[in-house]
Amino acid sequence: MNASANVLSGDQTDALQEIANIGMGQAGDSIARIWQQFVELSVPRIAIVEADRIPALIHHFVGDGLVSAVRQAFHGGFRGEVLVVLNTGNRHELGALMGYDGPLEPHEEEEMLLDVANVLAGACIGGIARQLGADMGFSAPSLIGTDLDAHSVVRPDELSVATALCVEVCFNVKIHQLSAHLIALLPREEVAALGELLDRFLCTL
Amino acid sequence: MSVSVLVVDDSPIARKMLRKALPADWDITVQEACNGQEAMLAYRAGKVDVMFLDLTMPTMDGFQVLETLQAEDLNCFVIVVSADVQPLARERALGMGAIAFVSKPVNAEGIRTVLREYGVMV
Repeated sequence: MNASANVLSGDQTDALQEIANIGMGQAGDSIARIWQQFVELSVPRIAIVEADRIPALIHHFVGDGLVSAVRQAFHGGFRGEVLVVLNTGNRHELGALMGYDGPLEPHEEEEMLLDVANVLAGACIGGIARQLGADMGFSAPSLIGTDLDAHSVVRPDELSVATALCVEVCFNVKIHQLSAHLIALLPREEVAALGELLDRFLCTL
Repeated sequence: MSVSVLVVDDSPIARKMLRKALPADWDITVQEACNGQEAMLAYRAGKVDVMFLDLTMPTMDGFQVLETLQAEDLNCFVIVVSADVQPLARERALGMGAIAFVSKPVNAEGIRTVLREYGVMV
């Protein structure tokens, strides 16, 4: 999926994909060190989507099955929001990887999910911003919910944007059947700022 | 005689960044491949001395290329260039015949150091 026509040029999209790839690699390394597991990385996917199509797109990325989701806003060189969506079939295995013993209390599960999201979002979006020479700040992550259908992770009427640039990367730990999807959503009006940063990056090549 | 270099990456920007980081004083001819299958076609055509290989690619990834090269008696220098900087990715790539592992984003000094360290470029 590479449908960012009319918003980013082909070169800008290619640059964003490669920069997201490097950011994803840094996030993968960060979470792999915590989980002490090899994490398989996907090829980043970029799309421009209307708000009412975002739930279907998230389902397309994540697939069937129940998920847990965390959101975290970022601001600086460009502004947006990250959704971290984890499959929750193996939440106890995730708990064990995160250093929790035994069944998780609800507050422990929330704390764990926020920690995972914070690590992935900070490393990935931070890595992207660093390559673009942009400063980036993050709000505190917040839990959207657990045991959600992928379609209900976000409701279009909750989004403040009509159109968004969506960048998705996926982290997989096969032996634990664990996957985490990081989906960055940028309001269309922020894409111009991102485009300027990408142009500056492209000028260095 | 110039050295034949193959740059394998699905990202045109990554291929451009890698080409820019290659030493200007290195006598080379450069080809590009955008996935593992294209890389293997170029390799089997017998015109690859040094391969710069990305790991995360659609169609045929870098690990699959290394596996195939090993099965076909690896006969070129493979330098993995990857955003996947996990220690296990590095170990796995080196264990599969790559001579070196370079983390993205690449820089000219890092590439030159690797080429000199492994005697690929004097």
